[in-house]
Amino acid sequence: MKTSRILATATIAAVSVALTGCGSKGEAGGDAGASSGTLTIGASISLTGKTAREGVLTQEGYQLCQEKVNAKGGVKVGDKMLKLDIKYQDDTSKPDTAASLVDQFNDQGIKLILGSYGSANTEAQAAVIERNNQVMVDSSGADNNIFAKGYKRTFGVLSPATEYAASIVKAVAELASPKPTSVVVLSADDGFSKRAADGAAKAAKDLGFTVLETQYFPNGATDVSASLNKVKASNPDVIIGSVHLAEGVAIIKQAKELGVVPKVFGETVAPPTPDFVTTLGKDAEGVLGSSQWTKSAAGSDDYFGTAKQYDADIQAKFKHEAGYHNAEASAACLAFVLAIQKAGSTDANKVRDALAALDAPSFFAQLKFDAVGMNSTKPMSVIQIQGGKQVTVWPKASAEAALIWPGTTK
Amino acid sequence: MTGFLQATVYGLLQGGLLALVAVGFSLVWGVMNVVNLSHGAFVVLGAYVGWQLNTSLGLDPFLGMVIVALVLFCIGYAVQRFLINLVVNGPIFITLLLTFGLELLLVQGMNIVFTANYQSIPTSYAGNAIVLGGIQVPLGRLLAFLLAVGITVLLVKVMANTRIGMSIMATGMDRGAARLMGIRARHVYALTFGIATALAGMAGTMVGTVGTFNPAAAGGFTLLSFVIAVLGGLGNMYGAMVGGLLMGLVQAWGGYYLSGTWVNALAFLVLVIVLMFRPSGLVGKAFYAARVEV
Amino acid sequence: MATVTPALWRRWGPWALGLVGALAALGLQTQLYTGQVRTVATIFMFVALALSWNLIGGYTGYASFGQVVFFGLGGYFAAVTMTHLHWSFWVALPLAGLAAAAYAVVIGIPLLRLRGHYFAIATLGVAEGTREVVINLDGLTGGGGGITVPTVGAAAATKYLGNDGFYLVYLALAVLALLITGLVSRSKFGFAMRAIHQDEDAAAAVGINTTRTKVLTFALSGLLTGLVGATYAFQQVTIYPERLFDVEITVLMVVMVVIGGSGTVLGPIIGAVALQFLSEWLRQNYTTVHTLLLGIIIIIAVILLPQGLVNYLREARRNGDYSLLANVRRYRL
Repeated sequence: MKTSRILATATIAAVSVALTGCGSKGEAGGDAGASSGTLTIGASISLTGKTAREGVLTQEGYQLCQEKVNAKGGVKVGDKMLKLDIKYQDDTSKPDTAASLVDQFNDQGIKLILGSYGSANTEAQAAVIERNNQVMVDSSGADNNIFAKGYKRTFGVLSPATEYAASIVKAVAELASPKPTSVVVLSADDGFSKRAADGAAKAAKDLGFTVLETQYFPNGATDVSASLNKVKASNPDVIIGSVHLAEGVAIIKQAKELGVVPKVFGETVAPPTPDFVTTLGKDAEGVLGSSQWTKSAAGSDDYFGTAKQYDADIQAKFKHEAGYHNAEASAACLAFVLAIQKAGSTDANKVRDALAALDAPSFFAQLKFDAVGMNSTKPMSVIQIQGGKQVTVWPKASAEAALIWPGTTK
Repeated sequence: MTGFLQATVYGLLQGGLLALVAVGFSLVWGVMNVVNLSHGAFVVLGAYVGWQLNTSLGLDPFLGMVIVALVLFCIGYAVQRFLINLVVNGPIFITLLLTFGLELLLVQGMNIVFTANYQSIPTSYAGNAIVLGGIQVPLGRLLAFLLAVGITVLLVKVMANTRIGMSIMATGMDRGAARLMGIRARHVYALTFGIATALAGMAGTMVGTVGTFNPAAAGGFTLLSFVIAVLGGLGNMYGAMVGGLLMGLVQAWGGYYLSGTWVNALAFLVLVIVLMFRPSGLVGKAFYAARVEV
Repeated sequence: MATVTPALWRRWGPWALGLVGALAALGLQTQLYTGQVRTVATIFMFVALALSWNLIGGYTGYASFGQVVFFGLGGYFAAVTMTHLHWSFWVALPLAGLAAAAYAVVIGIPLLRLRGHYFAIATLGVAEGTREVVINLDGLTGGGGGITVPTVGAAAATKYLGNDGFYLVYLALAVLALLITGLVSRSKFGFAMRAIHQDEDAAAAVGINTTRTKVLTFALSGLLTGLVGATYAFQQVTIYPERLFDVEITVLMVVMVVIGGSGTVLGPIIGAVALQFLSEWLRQNYTTVHTLLLGIIIIIAVILLPQGLVNYLREARRNGDYSLLANVRRYRL
């Protein structure tokens, strides 16, 4: 008897929930808190998991931006000044969680989103952004693929993946004397790295280098000895690593162990990250790196000032040199702020249009998006580790020092 | 030919290090029937302790390793005595679940204490290499390899010839009988786990010296240990060594001759084939085959 | 309301409860914001996954540590056929499940001869190896760069289902997994599965065709996992081998089943709902320490309820002793 009563109650409860629930669903408030004097932007950040390190650097960039903007009184929307409030959620470095977070922000009426770290996460988010009519400024997803899908609501402040490693090849071709002749690319096997590797191989061919077959290893590998061993016999002049931090460090360490001595190493992503020099010590000397941004970048804006000032602010707040991961995050946040002020509204559609039309100088670079949403006019810089510091060597216009050639000595 | 020899030498050195990473995992599984999913976290923890000793006291990692082993032994002993022993009589999944929780706790704990920054323990010599007939033998890896082999041999001697070792083996074979002989299983289990974490910690310090690490590396080490332990044969100390060396060689040779990352598919193919034809591992058997599963 | 006799209740009660649960889930959907719909859909996804692992791991006692291979294979089957052949999702979905089941038979025949941890590690090896093959067949699968299922324009044979659509698909898959588990657990086949778990040699001795039972169970489990994987691939739009073959997904399935109570119908459901809900709640509220807290909670749960919630309740009711302390003593050394 008891069980039957429970069963009956449960059935009634379930059915009534099913019936009464109709029509109560919707989306919560649409003004992102404008009426309360704050402007809320959602940010999914990789605070734990595989890319937690890069995720933290990205968060630092967002935090500094919030501080700078609010120090000036906030974001001017129409005649109101709104305090900027960035809400952080941990996406545990996984694309499915990052995408799900965008949906959750949408529930809270947060339509303006700052991107997560990395191309995979950003790509997953972009699809959701499009469906929900939200707007995202992407701070670190550089894979050209993200922008090749016809999405209209994702804007990337950074140069695309194809430029990452290619810029190093161009710098070497232009600056090195005597000019080297052969190039080999070692690449991680994720989408972003492969795209960058293809870009480098193509650039090298166009510039007349002998290009050896690209070698691949798993994304995140700490043992790349097999690839190095394979290219050792052909003794290439330039070894380009299309990599992330872990593989980038492994290439330098293991090349030394294996006696692979090219004229120079060049790597994407890794050398401009502060950890590169701390983990490698003097072995990092002379390595070239491609960077989205350097301290000698031209241009300035009202919030961060010049690139030099930006570096000083990061040093004061976070006790390390500003890396491009910091800068691109701050720039993404800045692009949002500028677009919102120009639109005079926090409405997602108006902000989207303002972003599409944005053309503003900043400490990072000119913030201007092309038809697909990439910041394609922005140049990449090439840095070299000299005396334990990142020094800009290319393009010549913003070079801080001459290229040391050859970069590797033995 | 030089390329092949170079790949072989490097693969062997790498394999020795992998063996040391895995040997503790194999010991715990073989003796206690515990699949320790937090093993990789202890490897990384060892690397951090070694790194901390180096940065704050300037201690050379190969000397600091002794302290690392002591610290990790104490942690491991306590974890087994006060935590895992609470459920160790249960089916294998229960301990698996417990160590899964432990792994989450340790990895995130390290993330908070040490940040997610990549680290490496610097030495002036580890990256240098001796050149033997055109073959480069990196010093740090050579040292790590020799230590790994030395420690494995020592472990086998300890297991076979000392009272503690024999109690561990006896408890592993038949706990009931061992208890009747007056062996305190609680203590012996804690000792076993402590030895395993100490070995993991030493391996971690070496990995941290020749490479880089951060907390997220933990899962990879566990997976690797899993594969190597089974490849060699569970609970057999030489098993992990054989498994590790085989793994190192397959990766080095495969990487040298195959394009793309097919080498990884190959490594797992070897594993599955070994299991199908010799389920007890390459050097398994011994008296462990006679062990009663509970 | 008619009188329900205990016998009647035992026979139909669970089905009624299942029906009520499914109806409640439909009702719940109308109450949620769209992002919450997605979060709850993920819970259903894990319910389906945990139930399918429970068939081979819980009932039969063969711990498949490479279960994610069926998830990945189903996902890639759907993504590749939808992208290159422009198949409709509704065609790709069942075939993806069948492909996963076929794969289970192919690897099951040699591997299910192995017992205990040897089976576990062998399936793990298969999963990792299969992922590497998927990465290296980049012409077909996009390799490490991932593959994007067309969801807009002429290339899209099936319109994207949206959060509400996927909620229903995952719910349907969870119900399907529940139905299969319910039917199997009460049938002769289920008896054979449990017999194999208890003592495989004895099972063979009483005339159970153990090989057939094991391979069929593995195929069934693979089928369900593959269906979920295919749905996941479409839901994510762009998929990567790293995530589709992530060992963590296997580990989560195991953890959910063990927490809830392995070898039971309700256990995996409770485990999946509890763990997924908890980890999501912790993640939203404790941004920096959530995995640490989750770890502590899992450790406490294992020590207090080592046999899983459902088995604990069952035994406690039988013995009339609900004390958790007795429970702690049970597996202590």
